Amino acid sequence: MSSDRVNNGAHGGTQAGAYYGHGLPYLPVDGYPGRIIAIEGTDGVGRSTQIRLLREWLEVKGYGVVETGWTRSELMAPTIELAKSSNTLNKLTFVLLYACDFADRLEKEIIPALKAGFIVLSDRYIYTAIARAGVRGVDSQWIRRLYGFAIAPHLVFYLKIEADALARRVLEAGGMEYWESGMDMKAGDDIYDNFKHYQRQLLKEYSAMAEEFGFRVIEGRRSITSIQEELRRQIGAFLEESGPPSLPGV
Amino acid sequence: MTFSLLHATDFADRLLYKIIPPLKAGMIVLADRYAYTAFARDVARGVDREWVRDLYSFAVRPNLAVYFRVPIDVSLDRLLARRVKLKFYEAGMDMGWSANPTESFRIFQSKVLDEYNRIVHEYELAVIEASSSITEQQRQLRQIVAEVLEQETKSVE
Repeated sequence: MSSDRVNNGAHGGTQAGAYYGHGLPYLPVDGYPGRIIAIEGTDGVGRSTQIRLLREWLEVKGYGVVETGWTRSELMAPTIELAKSSNTLNKLTFVLLYACDFADRLEKEIIPALKAGFIVLSDRYIYTAIARAGVRGVDSQWIRRLYGFAIAPHLVFYLKIEADALARRVLEAGGMEYWESGMDMKAGDDIYDNFKHYQRQLLKEYSAMAEEFGFRVIEGRRSITSIQEELRRQIGAFLEESGPPSLPGV
Repeated sequence: MTFSLLHATDFADRLLYKIIPPLKAGMIVLADRYAYTAFARDVARGVDREWVRDLYSFAVRPNLAVYFRVPIDVSLDRLLARRVKLKFYEAGMDMGWSANPTESFRIFQSKVLDEYNRIVHEYELAVIEASSSITEQQRQLRQIVAEVLEQETKSVE
């Protein structure tokens, strides 16, 4: 697999599969055979359904698949839940706890999977953390350098949806939640207004990142089947072009 | 990396709740270790030197930072005199350099001390030789602190 073919992946200015910035000096990742495919998009846009369907499809095609997603780190999940419930988080500790969760999953799940030639399906990636931090007024350069230890994915799909459509979808699915509505930002007491306002700001942050990080944008209001077909078409083309993730030593 | 980020989270929490409010009230904050400890310890654990400095760029630069320098043998003797066992992380046992805690401590702390020597120059820390008596160290410390306070008072006037 030649390096210019790898460059066909989505990764902004960084080569897919390499660290964005100052990576982990003690864990070199160059030349690992696995692939990272990230699905981005705000809460309730249907990411997890799409990932479940993609997993089935990829496994039938014979690929090894590993899933990862925010706050699933064994080390950090209980801490983050506790901190969210205790009202002591500020924007900085919020951002740093999430970075810690990501670092744990990177070292324990993502890098080992890449090394073993798996496809890592990531339910959101660092862009969600960058968007949330941006909305809360954290310095945009600082947060990007912080996540310099992240690996640029081979493909990033962004499921884009307007705040109005999203609000209806989330209400149908069971209602708005405190953090999804940015209630910590104390903009007001009305959860509906806050949800709309917060999600609109998030969407602005995602849009600003689309070009910087090479997002492939998919309209999130399309049907589940139609989005899935689009994802399979693009992922299929990418995997064919870049060659299958060969197992080391095989 | 998680070790580094958890400490940064703890520091950010203390900065916003325990350091910045008293500074605003015009008080003196005495910090037992500061971001420099993270620079030394995290880099000794293999984290990128520049990354960890960027990470802590949200910290307030102290008016005075004092580094108590001590040779490894002295710190080892002092720790072992007080406790039976070295702590797991203090000895850098997580790095897997040696199964022997004392040996691991030596390897890890010598890396930490190398980083401190670099930091002393980079951030112009005041240095006190911590192998001297407590009375002597306190005398020197009071002198340094008094000088800084005098300067600060003048610059305010």
